[in-house]
Amino acid sequence: MFEDDETLQMYIEESLDHLGDIESDLLTIEEAGANIDLDLVNNVFRAAHSIKGGAGFMGLTTIKDLAHHLENVLGLVRNKELVPDSNRISVLLKGFDELEDLLNNIETSNDVDVSDHVSALENITKSSLPEEKQDMVSQIVDIVLKDSRVFPQVSLFEIEQYKAEGKNLFLVEYDLIHDIQRKDKNPIEVLNSLQKTGTIIDSRIDFDSVGILSENSGPSRIPFQVLFASIIEYDMTETLFDIKKQYIHAISDDMIISTSATDMNAEPATMPYKGESEKASVAGLPEQKNIAVQQAVKKQVVTTPAVKPVIQKTKKVMAKEKQSPSKTEKEVHISAKAQTSLRVNVGLLDTLMNLAGELVLSRNQLLQGVNSSNAKATELSSQRIDMITSELQEAIMRTRMQPIANILNKFTRVVRDLSQQLGKSIDLIIEGKDVELDKTILEAINDPLTHLIRNSVDHGIETPMEREQMGKNGTGKIILKAFHDAGQVNIVISDDGKGLVPDKIADSAIDKGLVTDQQVAEMSERQKMELIFLPGFSTAKEITDVSGRGVGMDVVTTNIESLGGIIELDSTPGEGTDIQIKLPLTLAIIPSQITSVGNERYAVPQVNLNELLRIPASQVKEKIEKVGDASVVRLRGELLPLIDLSKMLGIKKLYNDPENNDELEDRRQNLADRRSRQHIITEDGELIAAPDQEKEKPERNEEDRRYHARSALNIAVVSAGAFKYGLVVDQLYDSEEIVVKPVGRHLKKCTAYAGATIMGDGKVALILDISNLAQIAELSSVSEAGQIAKAAEEAAEAAKDKAALLTFKNSETEHFAAPLNIVERIERIQTSTIEQIGGRKVVQYRGGALPLYELSQVADFKPLPEKEQQEVIVFKIKDRELGLMVMPPVDALEVTLDIDESTLKQPAISGSMIINKHTTLLVDIFEMVKILNPEWFQEEAKVAAKMAESGEKILLFAEDSAFFRNQVKTFMEEDGFKVIEAEDGLIAWELLKERVDEIDMVVTDLEMPNMDGFELTKRIKSDPKYSHLDVIALTSLASEAHIEKGRKVGIDEYEIKLDREKLMKIIRKKLNLSK
Amino acid sequence: MTKSTTGISSEDIEFSTFYVGGALCGIDILNIQEINKHFEITRVPQASDYIEGILNLRGRIVTIIDLGKKLGLSPVNKDKDNRNIIVNSEDEHIGLLVDSISDVALAKRENIEPAPSNIGGVKGKFFQGVLKTEKQLIGILDIDEVLKE
Repeated sequence: MFEDDETLQMYIEESLDHLGDIESDLLTIEEAGANIDLDLVNNVFRAAHSIKGGAGFMGLTTIKDLAHHLENVLGLVRNKELVPDSNRISVLLKGFDELEDLLNNIETSNDVDVSDHVSALENITKSSLPEEKQDMVSQIVDIVLKDSRVFPQVSLFEIEQYKAEGKNLFLVEYDLIHDIQRKDKNPIEVLNSLQKTGTIIDSRIDFDSVGILSENSGPSRIPFQVLFASIIEYDMTETLFDIKKQYIHAISDDMIISTSATDMNAEPATMPYKGESEKASVAGLPEQKNIAVQQAVKKQVVTTPAVKPVIQKTKKVMAKEKQSPSKTEKEVHISAKAQTSLRVNVGLLDTLMNLAGELVLSRNQLLQGVNSSNAKATELSSQRIDMITSELQEAIMRTRMQPIANILNKFTRVVRDLSQQLGKSIDLIIEGKDVELDKTILEAINDPLTHLIRNSVDHGIETPMEREQMGKNGTGKIILKAFHDAGQVNIVISDDGKGLVPDKIADSAIDKGLVTDQQVAEMSERQKMELIFLPGFSTAKEITDVSGRGVGMDVVTTNIESLGGIIELDSTPGEGTDIQIKLPLTLAIIPSQITSVGNERYAVPQVNLNELLRIPASQVKEKIEKVGDASVVRLRGELLPLIDLSKMLGIKKLYNDPENNDELEDRRQNLADRRSRQHIITEDGELIAAPDQEKEKPERNEEDRRYHARSALNIAVVSAGAFKYGLVVDQLYDSEEIVVKPVGRHLKKCTAYAGATIMGDGKVALILDISNLAQIAELSSVSEAGQIAKAAEEAAEAAKDKAALLTFKNSETEHFAAPLNIVERIERIQTSTIEQIGGRKVVQYRGGALPLYELSQVADFKPLPEKEQQEVIVFKIKDRELGLMVMPPVDALEVTLDIDESTLKQPAISGSMIINKHTTLLVDIFEMVKILNPEWFQEEAKVAAKMAESGEKILLFAEDSAFFRNQVKTFMEEDGFKVIEAEDGLIAWELLKERVDEIDMVVTDLEMPNMDGFELTKRIKSDPKYSHLDVIALTSLASEAHIEKGRKVGIDEYEIKLDREKLMKIIRKKLNLSK
Repeated sequence: MTKSTTGISSEDIEFSTFYVGGALCGIDILNIQEINKHFEITRVPQASDYIEGILNLRGRIVTIIDLGKKLGLSPVNKDKDNRNIIVNSEDEHIGLLVDSISDVALAKRENIEPAPSNIGGVKGKFFQGVLKTEKQLIGILDIDEVLKE
């Protein structure tokens, strides 16, 4: 084999380059069918051809052989003598695959047996030819020069093809030493330039003649023979090839000699040759003579090359014997082999060179500035260096960037082969081929993507029959899309197949013992779907050889996460599945949030970071709740599990001075302690172990510590996959781009870190592995976290009855509050515009008169002081607006209702509670209006009276808070309903069972002990005995999630507590009662 | 030092010696990359207790191991004599934190005796051998064995 490594390497690279696009080209050719796109075919043809050309010269016989046969078939396609149907394309594809394998393992390529491919290809070629030509395909001839030197082993079929095209054949003998090396050329370059004017049929180095020549004369030549077909006439060749004419031999037919390899069946071998020669416009020799010459020369020739085929044959046999084991081994080897060289745009290299130049200049300036202590010059040059460094970084990054098309394109083939194998019909649509990704990432996502695509084809898309039954297009669709978004590369694989059925997945996971029933019961649909990412899970009932090879989705997830990527799943049963992968552009440099715990810094990769949260010391108590052993923070209505980094890593907080850290640490614990009597936050473990510290607490000045900056909590809200949690750190710093450096082997088992980086001050900071941290803390989306969050939710909900209130004052010392939801507006009016008419105050307002009242009119409160301006809260009762004059400040806030109904009970006051350290009276606006304007309610009374006569409607009302129970019951009864009260869901359920015949409707609170409103509704709605009853839920705060949950269990209406009018309206409407 | 090495035959081995946990140990000088006194060490929580932390050595992250703890002796006392001996092991730079550095000892290969099963409380497997000098006994450390996790 040719020994020049550099040339060989160049050849391999070029050949692989040629092969790069072939697959997609072939697939496009297949699609077009008989409607051949000549450009494409030419493309593929040329690729096979150049590979063959080089292989001959390199002595790579197997590659040459295979490429040659591929070329033959493609030549026929090009001449439209062969229709590229799917079977033929398959053979071609396999042939090119093998070719790629051979090129990748060039050292052993000559020992590989490719006879399967060759005979398959030969069959195709033969099938397209008239019978008498068929044998020619496999026939090998030698070309014998006038000096009886031989250019052996040329395909007769090929020669005839060129002749049929009217081309002249030449054998050009370059001298490797004089014509190529001395002229500073390269054999491959020579071949490439020849390609421009004609076609290289074959090339070789004639080593035989080297030996002979060197014996005789001093200066030897190494003939490099190229068999060349071109339309150029012999006269012109000297200028074209740039060598002396004596080394250019025109090939005439009499020089083409059938070899001994095919000599065994000499009869058929000569036949087609004869036929062909007639057609070709050659010599015009009589047939007889032609044959005679041929046979005559043959005898001469036989002696020399006869040995060769024999050797080759034995080689083949040997290769065949060991084929099966060696082949599988080889395949494994290939997939593990990483690309070692890269093509880089020259423009980019120039940019790099420029930048390097600028960098050197700036360094010189900097050194000068430093030496002369010129601060300004130093500053200027450091700025320049800063700029150049960024540009340099970016440019170097770009050299590593490769279009994602390199890997996406091959999926066309994967999908094609798989769908054929499975009898499915699938279109693969690839979008965003131009998106570029770092080479390392590109290589690493290849396997996960292949797995996902295989999954989509195998499990996702249904068979055409199934699809048609479901009313879908028989042909399935898989869309593979890559795009940039927010500094990341997104790859979406979506199919329109059968989708994932969450419950089926959950059942399967339970069967496999991966999760428990209980865990599943608490999971959302999405969480159930995400179970497929668990190790040991596989949705297919049987593991097919297509997608299951012991590798599951967990490996896919692990691979992607190890790249700093995220994988998300979305699926609608029956409609399809979307899998989204988010990847960083590069691995080497990542943007990160720098945080610190103790006096060490930790980097949180920006990909994992959702937001930063700072809870001021004063709010820690309300915001942080403790559930079991876990702390959670309430963030926009969602409960977020917290991990305290210091506790997890066992770092002492505020570990400033190694010699006397105790003191600092203790103080910190006390701080946590004070805030967390009920809702313990962080270092609780240590806290419980040291209860005596709690005694210190009252001695301390609470005010001081409350505003102590350090007692605020800094939380980085991070996500690992679809799972979010809060990471409690001491300090949050800037976001920086950090360079990821690997850590030593002794730290490999510390899974909490993804690596280390060097900070601007030269110190090392560890990079946190967010998903592993969650695992170490035993928080995971599937198990604990869900339960914790849910338990927390329940605990939090059960503990509270929250309501939004509007607080205001009547005088400096009298504080009041009213439910916010019945307030229309708050206005400020000039006192001078208030008119006194008939003992009542009104103000002209929006084209009408707004009656104004103050609290002193209904109960024993102080009259409002005289002012220039007056704050008025506008309520709407009975479709009429009225204003309550109050004293500022008017403020809206959300409080936990803890109402004392008896102590300060007065007309129009429903009770009292402490808000912001003031005893605040809760105004019952409804009652107030009733006192002030009894005539507004006459109609109501009539209706109520009428209803009482005509048969009472009975409402079952479940509510745990005595205050609300009384309130709501009162106004229900005022409207003429009879009310059965229940203190919680369970009691309501028992009552309902006993008295179902009497009850007309159920009104229930949602958050109650023993049995909540959701459960109660669920029971009612799922039992045919009760399901006819309407259920109205009363809630203090209705979040979207709540309402959705309620809808699912069958709640008919949602109403806000204390919105009397609306509630009664709904009840009437539901019971078909009109006023 | 270069002068003292003249005239060394290939049979001679130079050992850099140092104190750790009261014991005098040596490492073949050819295994040593450098000896420095950088103590800007970043601690690595949750790592094995003998790991002192990681260090930025001219852009490379180097794991620093408290040799005293690793050998089962008393931990290295932090003072100004401490040094990091950076050794090359399995294509990785690893720093060994030692109490203090001592001389370079020159010995002929045949003078190194096999290590007893226990040297000053340290398991014999950590040693390639012992070198007896006029004054002291130097335990020659087997770096690869010491750095096994």
